[in-house]
Amino acid sequence: MTSSPRLFSKILIANRGEIALRVLRACKELGIATVAVHSTADADAMHVRLADESVCIGPPPTRESYLNIPQILAACEITGANAVHPGYGFLSENARFAEILAAHDVAFIGPSAEHIRIMGDKIEAKRTAKRLGIPVVPGSEGAVSNEATAKKIADEIGYPVLIKASAGGGGRGMKVARSALELPNALATARAEARAAFGDDAVYIEKYLAKPRHIEVQVMGDGAGKAVHLGERDCSLQRRHQKVMEESPSPAITPEQRARIGGVVAKAMSDLGYAGAGTVEFLYEDGEFYFIEMNTRLQVEHPVTEAVTGFDLVTEQIRIASGLGLSFEQKDVKFTGHAIECRINAEDPKTFAASPGRIAYYHPPGGLGVRIDSGVYQGYSIPPYYDSLIGKLIVHAHSRDEALRRLARALDEFVIDGIKTTIPLFRELVNDPDIISGNYDIHWLEKRLAMV
Amino acid sequence: MADQKSILDQMLVRELAQLLTETGLTEIEIEREGTRVRVARNVTVAAAPTMMAMPAPGGAAVAGPALAANDATHPGTVHSPMVGTAFRAPEPGARPYVEVGDQVRQGDTLLIIEAMKTMNQIPAPRAGKVTKILVDDGQPVEYGEPLLIIE
Repeated sequence: MTSSPRLFSKILIANRGEIALRVLRACKELGIATVAVHSTADADAMHVRLADESVCIGPPPTRESYLNIPQILAACEITGANAVHPGYGFLSENARFAEILAAHDVAFIGPSAEHIRIMGDKIEAKRTAKRLGIPVVPGSEGAVSNEATAKKIADEIGYPVLIKASAGGGGRGMKVARSALELPNALATARAEARAAFGDDAVYIEKYLAKPRHIEVQVMGDGAGKAVHLGERDCSLQRRHQKVMEESPSPAITPEQRARIGGVVAKAMSDLGYAGAGTVEFLYEDGEFYFIEMNTRLQVEHPVTEAVTGFDLVTEQIRIASGLGLSFEQKDVKFTGHAIECRINAEDPKTFAASPGRIAYYHPPGGLGVRIDSGVYQGYSIPPYYDSLIGKLIVHAHSRDEALRRLARALDEFVIDGIKTTIPLFRELVNDPDIISGNYDIHWLEKRLAMV
Repeated sequence: MADQKSILDQMLVRELAQLLTETGLTEIEIEREGTRVRVARNVTVAAAPTMMAMPAPGGAAVAGPALAANDATHPGTVHSPMVGTAFRAPEPGARPYVEVGDQVRQGDTLLIIEAMKTMNQIPAPRAGKVTKILVDDGQPVEYGEPLLIIE
């Protein structure tokens, strides 16, 4: 007997913090029962309190809890969950996890294990992107192991060049060589860092762009050849390769450029047969896009895209994974107004030292066009074991100017006492002439922080 | 001399204890002239924060019968090392591994937790008498859940 696809009846959320709550909210709106899994440190977390069921899966270290596949699988078994949403980070880009779930008849809300694996390997990802017609940064075709090869490639593409760990991420194992003289040292350092951080010293070389912006394209595929793009996000404001503030549309590109790069990405994902949400990240300089990597999951900054398109990306992910396909076509995607997101971290706004602890007073901003995605509440203690993101403030308005004024207003209303947060940093940034004019690149924030 | 030092230490501990209460801290540790003093207290988790009505911890829905508050903190409690389904006997209808009142030796199997079709035997961490069994046969358990008490 065949039955038409239906939404999952119960979803286990294999994550914590604001993203666990974000996924839970989508499930509730779809009428899907939820299971929260958590470490002993997160027993009081908001997503645990709001979930229909919860299972403690281990002690605070992530390896023993949020990354512990057998325990998460056992939690699916005892609760009868028939799908897992991995959120971002943790197991969201773990191909083996997707395979193990499939072997146990539990759906993984995300792309196929094969696509996760391809995009998780930087060299393979670049090769695939190139094959699919996505523009890439000129550089080595594969891993570079000796100095002679490195020099030959660097001479071809021209200095400065960037040496990157194949298995890398988060900026570790990355070194710039500005001339042939700097190359041997940069190569050796990048390989040593790569070996220390990832247990693999394979590195590759590419053209180093001096003042690029980070522009990424949101894409969704149904796994059967239909794929749509939802425009771009400009995530150029970064510190140590971590995004700080994101906006859509990018102040740097035109509607024609958006349609062109969006079309290229959507066609590529259609040809690949990609399923679910994905983000193709580019460096952008002088009118050209250069592929950096593809994230095969929901991104932290997805609400920016939700604001300007009106589509709920988590709902679409769940629909696609349950076989119902995408609820809209490319022609339905219209971009309305401007959205900006600030990542609120529990960190000192000057030194960026982590600031875990108890939130003594909490007052989030409100009003038209203001969205807060956060799992914290008054009296909640932020545990010291996990990353410092405690919430996201997203504003949406008709124009960029209006969005900036709304952001300034919302930041002034926002009160989080008892711990230090990055809110004061954003209060400064929102009044900075370069931010107001949109004139910034991926190095802008670090330079500005160095001046203070 | 030694007596004087111990009196000083006592005073110091008293001062620190008072400081703990005043500041609401749970632990203070100081080191002075080669002497290290650490004062800590157990804090019973405060009731729901005052500001808003918290959603009920619907959380522990998976756990079975309501536990007496002290079972979880009893020094003899054996906690589940994993998520799974607890079984008290090697197979359905068989005699349970242990009953209340049984004497167990260290390493004796207390019960089984099944996860992913794998039967995991839970050994007694120490010898003693089983005074309470906190899970039913076939009950799902989470990590850290109290299973039984050995005294």
